[in-house]
Amino acid sequence: MANKKYWQSFGELHNSEAHQENVQNEFREELPFEDLEGKGLLDAKAPRRDFLKYLGFSTAAAAVAASCEVPVKKAIPYLNKPAEITPGVANYYATTYVSGGEVIPVVAKVRDGRPIKIEGNDLSAITKGGTTPRVQASVLDLYDTARLRYPSKDGKEVSSLEAFDKMVSEALAGLGGAPVVLLTSTITSPSTKQIITEFLAKYPGGRHVQYDAISYSGMLQANEAAYGKRAFPAYQLEKAKVVVGIGADFLGTWLNPLEQQKGYTQGRKINEANPEMSKHYQFECMLSMTGANADERFTHRPSETGAVALSLLNAVSGQSVSVSDAKLKAGIEKVAKDLLANKGAAVVMCGSNDVNIQVIVAAINEAIGANGTVLNWAAPSQTRQGVDSEFAKLVTDMTAGSIGALLIWDANPAYDYADAEKFKAAVKNVKVSVSFNEKMDETTELCKYVLPANNYLESWGDAEPKAGYYSLMQPTISPLFKTRQLQDTLLVWTGSKTAYHDYFNTFWAAKVGGQAAYLKALQAGVIEPAAAVSGTSYNGAKVAEATAAINSAKKGGEIELVLYEKVSMGDGKQANNPWLQEMPDPITKITWDNYAIISPALGKKLFGIDVLNRTAADTYDVETPKPMATVKVGGKEITIPTIIVPGIQANTIAIAVGYGRSEKIGKAVKHYDGSTLGQNVFGLATVNNGNVVYAAGDVTITNANKKYKLAQTQTHASYEGRREVVKELTLESFKKNPKQIWEARDKELAPFGGLAEYEKEGTIYPHYDRPGIKWGMSIDLNSCYGCGACVVACTAENNVAVVGKSEVLRAHEMHWLRIDRYFSGDAADADSIQTLFQPMLCQHCDNAPCENVCPVAATNHSSEGLNQMTYNRCIGTRYCANNCPYKVRRFNWADYTGADSFPDNQKNTGGLGDIGHLDESVLMMNDELTRMVLNPDVTVRSRGVIEKCSFCVQRLQEGKLKAKKENRTLTDNDAKTACQQACAADAIVFGNANNTESQISKTRQDNKNRMFFTLEQLHVLPNVNYLAKIRNTDVVLGVKDEEEEGHEEHKAEKKEAAHS
Amino acid sequence: MGLLRYESQTRNPLVTGHKTYHQVTEDIVRPIEAKPSKLWKIGFTISLFLLSFGAYSVYRDVVYGIGQWNLNKTVGWGWDITNFVWWVGIGHAGTLISAILLLFRQGWRTGVNRAAEAMTIFAVMCAGQFPIFHMGRVWNAFFVLPYPNTRGPLWVNFNSPLLWDVFAISTYFTVSLLFWYAGLLPDLATVRDRAKEKWRKRMYGVLSFGWTGSTKHWQRHESLSLVLAGLSTPLVLSVHTIVSFDFATSVIPGWHTTIFPPYFVAGAIFSGFAMVQTLLLIVRKVLSLEDYITLEHIEVMNKVIVLTGSIVGIAYITELFISWYGQNPYEAAAFRNRWDITTPLAWSYYLMMSCNVLSPQIFWFRKMRRNITVTFFMSIIVNVGMWFERFVIIVTSIYRDYLPSSWSTYYRPTIWEVGFYMGTFGLFFTCFFLFSKFFPVIAIAEIKHILKKSGESYKEGVGGIEAQAPEEFAHEQAHAH
Repeated sequence: MANKKYWQSFGELHNSEAHQENVQNEFREELPFEDLEGKGLLDAKAPRRDFLKYLGFSTAAAAVAASCEVPVKKAIPYLNKPAEITPGVANYYATTYVSGGEVIPVVAKVRDGRPIKIEGNDLSAITKGGTTPRVQASVLDLYDTARLRYPSKDGKEVSSLEAFDKMVSEALAGLGGAPVVLLTSTITSPSTKQIITEFLAKYPGGRHVQYDAISYSGMLQANEAAYGKRAFPAYQLEKAKVVVGIGADFLGTWLNPLEQQKGYTQGRKINEANPEMSKHYQFECMLSMTGANADERFTHRPSETGAVALSLLNAVSGQSVSVSDAKLKAGIEKVAKDLLANKGAAVVMCGSNDVNIQVIVAAINEAIGANGTVLNWAAPSQTRQGVDSEFAKLVTDMTAGSIGALLIWDANPAYDYADAEKFKAAVKNVKVSVSFNEKMDETTELCKYVLPANNYLESWGDAEPKAGYYSLMQPTISPLFKTRQLQDTLLVWTGSKTAYHDYFNTFWAAKVGGQAAYLKALQAGVIEPAAAVSGTSYNGAKVAEATAAINSAKKGGEIELVLYEKVSMGDGKQANNPWLQEMPDPITKITWDNYAIISPALGKKLFGIDVLNRTAADTYDVETPKPMATVKVGGKEITIPTIIVPGIQANTIAIAVGYGRSEKIGKAVKHYDGSTLGQNVFGLATVNNGNVVYAAGDVTITNANKKYKLAQTQTHASYEGRREVVKELTLESFKKNPKQIWEARDKELAPFGGLAEYEKEGTIYPHYDRPGIKWGMSIDLNSCYGCGACVVACTAENNVAVVGKSEVLRAHEMHWLRIDRYFSGDAADADSIQTLFQPMLCQHCDNAPCENVCPVAATNHSSEGLNQMTYNRCIGTRYCANNCPYKVRRFNWADYTGADSFPDNQKNTGGLGDIGHLDESVLMMNDELTRMVLNPDVTVRSRGVIEKCSFCVQRLQEGKLKAKKENRTLTDNDAKTACQQACAADAIVFGNANNTESQISKTRQDNKNRMFFTLEQLHVLPNVNYLAKIRNTDVVLGVKDEEEEGHEEHKAEKKEAAHS
Repeated sequence: MGLLRYESQTRNPLVTGHKTYHQVTEDIVRPIEAKPSKLWKIGFTISLFLLSFGAYSVYRDVVYGIGQWNLNKTVGWGWDITNFVWWVGIGHAGTLISAILLLFRQGWRTGVNRAAEAMTIFAVMCAGQFPIFHMGRVWNAFFVLPYPNTRGPLWVNFNSPLLWDVFAISTYFTVSLLFWYAGLLPDLATVRDRAKEKWRKRMYGVLSFGWTGSTKHWQRHESLSLVLAGLSTPLVLSVHTIVSFDFATSVIPGWHTTIFPPYFVAGAIFSGFAMVQTLLLIVRKVLSLEDYITLEHIEVMNKVIVLTGSIVGIAYITELFISWYGQNPYEAAAFRNRWDITTPLAWSYYLMMSCNVLSPQIFWFRKMRRNITVTFFMSIIVNVGMWFERFVIIVTSIYRDYLPSSWSTYYRPTIWEVGFYMGTFGLFFTCFFLFSKFFPVIAIAEIKHILKKSGESYKEGVGGIEAQAPEEFAHEQAHAH
């Protein structure tokens, strides 16, 4: 069988010649190839296969040639892979954010060798893993395009660090004994302090001056007088039942906000089984973020701060209160009564930098037993050490020409000193001026020698925010440029051969007991002692003197000014950070600028804008150009835009510092038309007893008859009594009937079988079970202070585009998470204003209205309850955005990210009317360097698509994989959203709602009575719930509430909700 | 048959000026055969200019993004969809006239149907530009077509009203185009037969599909017209119904309204007739077709305008009533944003009300219905009003919806949004000018149909019949055949 032969023709059978030829030729007939010349097809010059090759090649070549515009980007793999780097897997390093004395232990997420995200360090007992917006945004500063890249002398590049060292050493050697002064911001680092001492020892007569951009020196002096310590106590607000702030923004910017937030939160969380909460009173001149969270607010003039403190002292000591304003007087008496009733569990914090006022505040705290209870002196805080008089003396010495060399690190008095001009002139009289700085800031500009400094993410270091509490710093990336950190430089200039890294290692190994312990400490990032509480001896000797000084203090004029820090911008050091610039201010919701906040009364008087009138308020709301005013303080005059905000004392104006930076620090401080964003108002501060006080008593303000566009992300301030949007109650009312919210919801949904049946009965469509994972989020409105750390964290985690001021003006901002801020109360009565913050993000509705309207199904629902976006599929009809009741969907109006297929369309000049002209800051975010901050796990969205909160789906996937690999069920720690992780107040809880053990299930179970869904009646079935805000106050304004029936007298006051 | 053909003497003739068949052909074909007039050239140039400005506006929108428009996070649709709905609305009159009135045997339609149908087609073409170019990524617009694909396969979302729009409008466009073209065939053949130049003969020869005018052709033509009329009739009602679903099926107060379908259809007919008036008043003047588009036609259309305008008015009032009666605070607030004169966009609501509801009431007076100046002015006013109706529905509903935090800045269009709209006017009039130059603007064959019973000569000729006693007339007729 095997040999059986099959044949098709006789030719094949006999294997004839003709047959052989046929086999050779594929085609029976001759093909019309020219050069075939009778040979076999395979022997031709260009046989069939070659022809196919040519065809293939030419097609490929044409295709390549046609698409050659695509730039080739090389991704070169490691030749030798570092052991710790696995592409696609993040490493986390504990380090410390240090900025001007502020110390926050953090963990840097490093992906493929570059830090991309900052989280709080959970191991720290001080911050407990909390972060602030500025910490969140600090990773972007590392990749700032305006960073200095090489050392320079007189603005000319110096070839190497060694050459620079030589130059400076020669210059220092040639001083002829004139003193060397090191000017820095507050340094809490023990090793750095030691290095400074060693360095200065080499230059006899030299000294180290610490200077804080925002001065706390009055308070330091007062504490020294009262407690014998030039430091601050820890404010343990968790122990306080009554918290009183006098102009102290202690949740936002004052002293150590994170630590204070952590404590304060504990007193504000509501346990439904036993509803109790602390009572927060705030006396202030303007509406600060902290004031916005107060249960009761009383406003006063800046010049009255002393009087308020003194009256409060009098009241708690049983004397009469002598404040003229009746409301304020009643308030002080009420507060005093409450303070006395809670002796040992009450505290007063004052934001003034006036020694006398702080002496009085110390006396109040002593009288109410705060010392040793709420005020903990066991580990005093050292985060601010600058004393204004020392700096003033330095400036005097410099002016006199008696300073030989001035070495400046992390201090920028040419910008932020009250008398910057004097400092600027004085620098000229210093022979050798050296600046160690990351940026060409206003002070560095004046210096002869400039040595670029490392970013904190490139540095080694340590910090001691509180005595005995250490936080270590380790680099997360090699220095990007030719930079060197201060400690290394000082060591070199001291003549030491040790690098700071080794110095640091030795220093800490000795301190913690060996190399192994050192490495362990480095890994943990913090070294902290066991918690202890103690008071300190109090000395009231200065009280009488302070009382006399306050009583004789100059009265303010008709209009007064108060300067404040924005929670986003602070002292302005990070002004070139577009994430911070674009973060809306918690109160005004304005981005990119500073402005004078004025009261509705002043607005009417100056500009004739009556925001109490609904029509006028509407017009004022919707128009972006706001009137400008000319503000005169002493001899200084500025013209600045104004914004009307209720809640500010009628005759007080407030302006934020930190704006109006030099354009040399980066492109983000300018608008595309060349105008500077905001103005520097540090110069408007006044000096009182040698201390800088951020207020001015005699101010004139006039209509400048000009307008300026302010980019506001929220224009309407009232929630119009829409209780389906937010719910708030008084503590008393909640205690009386804890179930009232639940009952109201149940009643509303009664036609659909009440709450229990609503999901099924609220629709005509069939109901499906949702087994497996079901992601859910709970946001506690009682804990949210509106600080915005979550907003920046979300931006960083999800590569949310920066759109610049010009686009925010057109309501084109891209934030996936925003914080809605609502006012209620009488706009004419500053004290009555109640504020409510509501973080608003995609609610991941199970019956999402956005999903069914998309013609191409680009947005759809996952089996885990996520409303997800398929960017590739999106064609940009924006129907989903229109149909979203929460308006959380964001559309890419222009090519913000450079991810578009149309080249060069970012440099659109706008054409007629200059439409769509993008700010430099947007282009800056697209720089190769800046793009290194992008999270590689998240797609960069191109123009024309919709995007929105994804519940950080990349983190959820990672968490699920992790749990799967470890063959266990998912736990809460596996997946946290960026906003949740950033929130210092733990207002956000997230997890698998189908798991009864998860925190989200427990939160929903434990807070049944406060829980609600925004716009629940629409049957969109959100997966984000809120917990109602409970106010520890007599009445909730702005809503018609049957439960509030008893408060007829307040009802009369309600009037229209506040607008602005 | 004779009895049924009888038309009352009291009705004015629909074709005046004692026309003969030949004269009809001459009058209507004249503009096609003559050189374009100066007026035509000026108009055409302006149209082309508008069209190119529109094209540049769209170019900017495609290259730089929708950010070239002033839409924002709260107002996702503005002039784009307003213009879309407006143009679609205008595109309703033509098919209504040609289809529904054909089925209802309204003789007067013959004078206006050709131009009205052309207008429909051009208006729908203009309308189509907006949903296409309002997309953020227009190059992916084909995603809305349910074509077999290798992506899964990935289908379109049949739940989405926008997808229904795609089907509704493309169907409407196709059927309207076919209907219009079918009607054109005999007339194109007439032009062909009269043509002297070779290219002209050839062009119209091709366009007329070899029409010979045989009985068979006529018979098929009539059947086809009837079938297409039958197909178009439901479409007239469905297209705007479906467009209204874009809003009615949403959750946004002010959009989520069950009254929308009939109210949109009435509004569409209202604005469509107004646009027909605008165009025909110009056409009859410029092309001297006063004998064919008579005051009778104008008056009849004005009657439709006052009827549909009043329907629309009732719908507006019903909406207001329901917003109060329904006790839904969100809906009440949405409508307050319209009627409350103190709100930022209330002016547009009152503009809409006065243009659409109050001003057409003037047509209760016969004198006004037959006044050409008034009619022309009103036709413009009605379309301004109807534009604002869509603007009010779209913008004032979404600019202040559920969460007051999103009540955003004032929405004003940019120059490029306006440019896009102007561009569609350019497109519309460019097409219309070309149409009036190359096609008979009045259906010659159909006019000839009614010439016998409604021509002026006929009306005079039957004058004696009116005087006859009915019995006598019946007797005469019975013995006539």
